[in-house]
Amino acid sequence: MKKTLIGFAAVAASAALILTGCSDFTAGGGNAAPADWPAQDTKLDGVELTIWAAQNSNKVPKTVIEDFEELTGAKVDVVTIPDPYEQGVQTKVATGDKPDLAFWQPTGSQLTALNAATNLQSLDGAPWLDATKADLRDITGFLDDTRYAALITTPAVEGVYYNKKVFADAGVTELPTDWDSFIELGRELKAGGVTPFYEMAADRWSTQWWIHVQLADAAADGLWDRVNANEEKFTDPTILSTIETYKGLIDEGLFNEDIKTATFEDQGDALLAGDAAMVVQVNSFFGQLQAKASAEELDETIGFFPISPSGNIGTFIPDQSNALVAFKTGDATKEAAARQLLSYWLGDGYPAFVEAQNTVSLQDDVETPDTVPSALLAVSDSLGSAVGSMQVHAIANPDLYIFLADMIQGTKTPQQVAEATQEHFAELAKAQGAEAF
Amino acid sequence: MTTTTRAIVVPRGVQPPSPSPMSARPRGRRQDHPLWFLLPALAVLVIFFFVPTIFNFVYAFTDWSSFKSGIGFVGFDNFVSLFTSGTLVNALRVTLVYAVLVAVFQNVFGLALALLLEKDTRLNRAARVAFFVPVIMSALAVGYIFQALLKPEGALNEILGFVTGTDVSIAWLGDTTWTIVVVALVHSWKWMGLSMLIYLAGLKTIGADVLEAGRLDGASWWQTLRDIRMPLLAPAITFNVATALLGSMNGFDIVQATTEGGPGGATELLNIFIFRTFGQGLFAQATTMSLVLFLMVTILAFPVIRFLRKREDVL
Repeated sequence: MKKTLIGFAAVAASAALILTGCSDFTAGGGNAAPADWPAQDTKLDGVELTIWAAQNSNKVPKTVIEDFEELTGAKVDVVTIPDPYEQGVQTKVATGDKPDLAFWQPTGSQLTALNAATNLQSLDGAPWLDATKADLRDITGFLDDTRYAALITTPAVEGVYYNKKVFADAGVTELPTDWDSFIELGRELKAGGVTPFYEMAADRWSTQWWIHVQLADAAADGLWDRVNANEEKFTDPTILSTIETYKGLIDEGLFNEDIKTATFEDQGDALLAGDAAMVVQVNSFFGQLQAKASAEELDETIGFFPISPSGNIGTFIPDQSNALVAFKTGDATKEAAARQLLSYWLGDGYPAFVEAQNTVSLQDDVETPDTVPSALLAVSDSLGSAVGSMQVHAIANPDLYIFLADMIQGTKTPQQVAEATQEHFAELAKAQGAEAF
Repeated sequence: MTTTTRAIVVPRGVQPPSPSPMSARPRGRRQDHPLWFLLPALAVLVIFFFVPTIFNFVYAFTDWSSFKSGIGFVGFDNFVSLFTSGTLVNALRVTLVYAVLVAVFQNVFGLALALLLEKDTRLNRAARVAFFVPVIMSALAVGYIFQALLKPEGALNEILGFVTGTDVSIAWLGDTTWTIVVVALVHSWKWMGLSMLIYLAGLKTIGADVLEAGRLDGASWWQTLRDIRMPLLAPAITFNVATALLGSMNGFDIVQATTEGGPGGATELLNIFIFRTFGQGLFAQATTMSLVLFLMVTILAFPVIRFLRKREDVL
């Protein structure tokens, strides 16, 4: 009987294998540009759209959707995918589950991760592009010269958030103008008994910002193109030296003493309370501060300046809450409706959206509300000259931040961080079929 | 995940003695238990267990990823690259250490509880229920609760500080050497109720006359435990050690909730590594890793169970 069972199992399993043909469930779909962009108020009675959002972006579309539903008669459902959002979405898409629209990081590496050419609608020639500010229009959202993502809010910028009161108490009147003066300021503050920098190695993810901002000049000079072509590696001096610098600053005692166990939450508290003077972070950090303090308090206490080796150049890194992608679902009506929702969102619906989100406008004709905090305005001002981070330009997004956190915990040397990152990058690049790997 | 492997090993001693062997049964048995009764259960087993397992073997040899539509065979490429990078070997080592720690702690705690709560008093019954509650709690919830308790400014340090009168800020989950022990303790705490239950059942099967005879011969409590009860508990030990060891090799939830594999990769179990790799779209690599885990559990399972069963031969 045992043999019969094994035989049966083998037959069933091989049949299943043959039936599926060992193929990817997501295969299919062409690469044609969308045929048309429906008018924003086209009637969509009976059409149901699904938007995937993360826990921190699921309330972003609320007002736009309500207005859109009223205008067109469509029904739009926002589904929250639990964190880690990107992993969840990728897994779902890989098994053939697709929404009509999804919040998504509009960077090359993340669009590749969704297999954009197969799964996403091209947004080339979208109607809102003319209205978008010229220096933000083509900043991100592309893969292989095709536009796949619609930017709805200003992308995050990696830079220095500082406590204005701590600076004032220490007699700092001039903000640093380049990397050297930035570090010099840190040393002065430390000599005055202040913790200059605060890092959160327990939550790990912000460790990479210290590397990115040091690479801003190299990135502008095409570093990531060379890394993508395997002509330069993470273990080569350009990147390795930034990791060594970071480690050197930590060893010098310029960071908080509890760097190994500090969390994102702790980081926000420390900067607000003035326990530390500066934090290298992105916009979501400011979002965290907004949850902890009033707008006036933040305007009084928190400032922002971008930093790079040679000057005040920011490094931008759009995240999932900044942009949307539209999926190829195979249903022409829904695909058109998804494009229509995007045109409305960034068209007639945009002023109300900016107002409701209290955020910086991406369009010349839409005013940014007066109530937007000054630090966020400083962030958005730095965008025009900012260069893209590793995630924006590199074809893959290796676990640099995890390896850096390992280094802070003491289980990796800078050399090992660079080696592990290069290895992981090569693995991801190879899986994508990048020629040089 | 731990629950899946728990069903594999059937504890001999804690079940009613099996009836006489098949050959001695009356012929009519085949009629009232026709083979096709197996089909529904078998279908479920095939679809949800055999097919995925076989896919697991197949996809490990491909370049399946989220980045492209085609899937091509690449031979042993994934295995070579995984074993040449140190990460997989480290994850395997961490997984083994974790499993051994859990097996030891869970059994020591379970046995101690069983001995402590052996008598059927009302208080003991209530205590048994209390210690069994963590078993039925969600592992993630347990993990998050302990994460909060074990923070540098968490409740445990506050209590220690109160007792010692000093300011305690030990990072229980932040030490690259000892955190794995702490996490293994949390895992054992969650599952010790189950071990306790099985040891209790095992203890109940030991005849009172045997123990009484021992006592009449002048054996101390400790001698009865070491020379009479422990050998007679062999089947329960087999089940408990095997399930704890092999189950915790599949561990994920508690470690993910407490440390996410940190600090510095010190608690990065293979399943956490697999989860991260799969989430990055490297499906084939993740599959290869889970195949490696499958093989490791299998390779470990046979000698361990064989050894433990050997101990039961005295019965």
